[in-house]
Amino acid sequence: MKPRYFGRTLLGVAVGTFLATGQVLADESFLDVGKQAPITILINASPWYDGFENVVDLYQKQTGNKVNLEVTPFPGMLQKGRDAVRNPGASPYDLININSTWTIEFYSGGFLEPLKEIDPDFKLPDQVYALGDAHCWDAAKQFRTCKTGKLMGFPPNGNVELLYYRSDVFKQKGLKVPKTFDDVIANCKVLQNPPKSYGYLQRGEKGDSIYYDWMAYMLSYGASGVRDAENGDFTVTINSPQAKAALDKFLQVSHACAPSNAGTLSQGDLIQLIQTGKGMQAQAVVASFPNFDNPQKSAVVGKMDAAVLPLAKPDAKPGVAIGSWVFGIPKNASDAGKKGAIAFAKWFLTYKAQYAYAVGGGIPVRKDVFDSDLKQKSKFRWMQAYEDEIPYGKQVFGYAESAEVTNALGLRLNQALIGQLSSAQALNKAADDFYGIFKKHGRKTGRIAALPE
Amino acid sequence: MTRSADAESPAAIEAGFHLKHKAGLVDFIDRHFKWFTLGPAALLLLFLTAYPLIDLFAMSVHTISFSQAKEIWTFTPLANLRDLFSDDIFAIALWNTLVFAVISVSVEMVLGLALAILVASVTAGKGLIRTILIVPILMPPVAIGSMWKLMFNLDFGVINQALMVVGLQPVDWLGSLSVALFSIIIVDIWHWTPFVFLILFAAAEGLPKEVIEAARIDGARNRDLVFKIIVPLMKPAIAVALLFRVILAFKVFDEVFLLTSGGPGTSTEVVSLHLYKVFFEENQIGYGALLSLAIIAATIAFLWVGQRAATAVGRR
Repeated sequence: MKPRYFGRTLLGVAVGTFLATGQVLADESFLDVGKQAPITILINASPWYDGFENVVDLYQKQTGNKVNLEVTPFPGMLQKGRDAVRNPGASPYDLININSTWTIEFYSGGFLEPLKEIDPDFKLPDQVYALGDAHCWDAAKQFRTCKTGKLMGFPPNGNVELLYYRSDVFKQKGLKVPKTFDDVIANCKVLQNPPKSYGYLQRGEKGDSIYYDWMAYMLSYGASGVRDAENGDFTVTINSPQAKAALDKFLQVSHACAPSNAGTLSQGDLIQLIQTGKGMQAQAVVASFPNFDNPQKSAVVGKMDAAVLPLAKPDAKPGVAIGSWVFGIPKNASDAGKKGAIAFAKWFLTYKAQYAYAVGGGIPVRKDVFDSDLKQKSKFRWMQAYEDEIPYGKQVFGYAESAEVTNALGLRLNQALIGQLSSAQALNKAADDFYGIFKKHGRKTGRIAALPE
Repeated sequence: MTRSADAESPAAIEAGFHLKHKAGLVDFIDRHFKWFTLGPAALLLLFLTAYPLIDLFAMSVHTISFSQAKEIWTFTPLANLRDLFSDDIFAIALWNTLVFAVISVSVEMVLGLALAILVASVTAGKGLIRTILIVPILMPPVAIGSMWKLMFNLDFGVINQALMVVGLQPVDWLGSLSVALFSIIIVDIWHWTPFVFLILFAAAEGLPKEVIEAARIDGARNRDLVFKIIVPLMKPAIAVALLFRVILAFKVFDEVFLLTSGGPGTSTEVVSLHLYKVFFEENQIGYGALLSLAIIAATIAFLWVGQRAATAVGRR
């Protein structure tokens, strides 16, 4: 090549490279939120944390804005959040991740700043799932609803439970993906072979574990805790015949399909049993799915598939209890911190950020990300089941007494599971507990007829 | 004359007054020196001890709620008391705590004393044995909980694996109603026996050798030596170890929280765990404060009964 042609070629390559790079940058450019003060986020070390950390790294790279993450195990989250917002001085955090069952305490206590009071133009994109309106608060009704309430935060994920099953074993044994809990039991007859394999795993540990897993039954059987909390009717209905049918089925599944220590099975135990290849069918939160495909931890990589939770009967609806989180901005955060938190929220809820969040291991909250090409990829084979379930999602026990109520229910259900109480006794006792709690808090409450014991 | 005149001069009177006054001040300081030196520390201690208790008392007769980011205290002493008397979980937790404290502390005292006497009588490698024995108390509680939870695991735990090797059925150590509390007691004994050993070993090392030698020369058997010479001489140290252990056993939390969270059912529910749930999970601050006072009272009552029983046994 002659020198003059070489020079032209070099120039052409340089211009071409610049234009190509520019195109890539344009493709990858994210929302510009401007220069913001550093913010600190209180975040839980849950199974989806890695995805969140990745997306925060991306935010810092894209915007140059600094984010500090205060990573805390689940049990410490509530108290750290309380301490921060009750602090008479400035909150150490600008954004606090709050479990949806705890949100009411923060809303009703007046500890969080409604987002529109920081930025009147802020709103959640239409594509963001409602997730039972856990991020809105109607102070007059003392209830979480976006219809009449204020926007108090935004969701970083919408955790629901899915049915997981060993696709390789199902194929080998000619089993069908269960549609109902009776199908689960039928499959267990083939799959249950303790201690080598367990037909169906569900959490039975006292407290949050058992009450949350029982919700899949309770909601599908059409039972509820109280009659109409949104409109102030706290008549206790937890001991209804539907609730008894739900609990009886839960116990039947446990006795037919679970390990003998079903009454102490926690989320960690359940994931461990699946990862070691002992769990054949299970119900677990969607956030646990990456654990099954992690080659460093799991012996069943690529073998677990997801489906919609089993139903009470073929024409019933799935019992989808949303166990989501809400990011809230403390009232006592600094003005610069509040502004920085809003900027992060705007960026985080964009399609591109949510897409990157999902790729990094998070559970996105936008419908268009679930409708994207990700769904076709093996890594995201849980997405279809999630999309099918989410329209049925409910925030259960959405009132100020939720912690007391769920503690009581978590104990009574566990007592039924381990045989300390019959199902009717357990639900009647739970109803007594609920009634006492509501009465103490001055609610308009009442009871239905006790179940025959 | 001149001198006398000088002595009576206003300047001399003033100087004398100052001298006398200074001597009085020095004398005052001398007489109250202990108060000047100990006073600030005593006041600080009083403040740090008394203030939280007074605050706890105040909280225990109120219901504390939050509105507009502010605390609202409502005076409800009877409501909190009513809650206490109708709290059936607290009654169960109190009973479990008693069972836990009596069994674990008894075993720890016996084992700790035996180990202390045994190691004190060893002639070589005493330091190494002592170091190895105290390892459990150096471990963080979370590590202990995780370690034992893995060991007790029904499917993968080393204890059940060992049982199956010798042809026995696996035991549901943490999930069985009849076994769970005893599993926690096993962990507590493993964790805290070294603490008892350490206190009693120091006491055993300090025993007057001549008394023991004299007893030996007089023909005392080993059993008599232990029960009639060594144990009576170690009584003050035993009392201290017992006091510490009873108080700590009543406050047991981490082992239960990490291993069973109080389950299955209410089989391992203990007072500290129940208090944690009421205070921190359910956010019932006023009732939680009353529960704290009830636990303090129960601990003092248990210690008082224990002391009376020990005194009665000692008199026999």
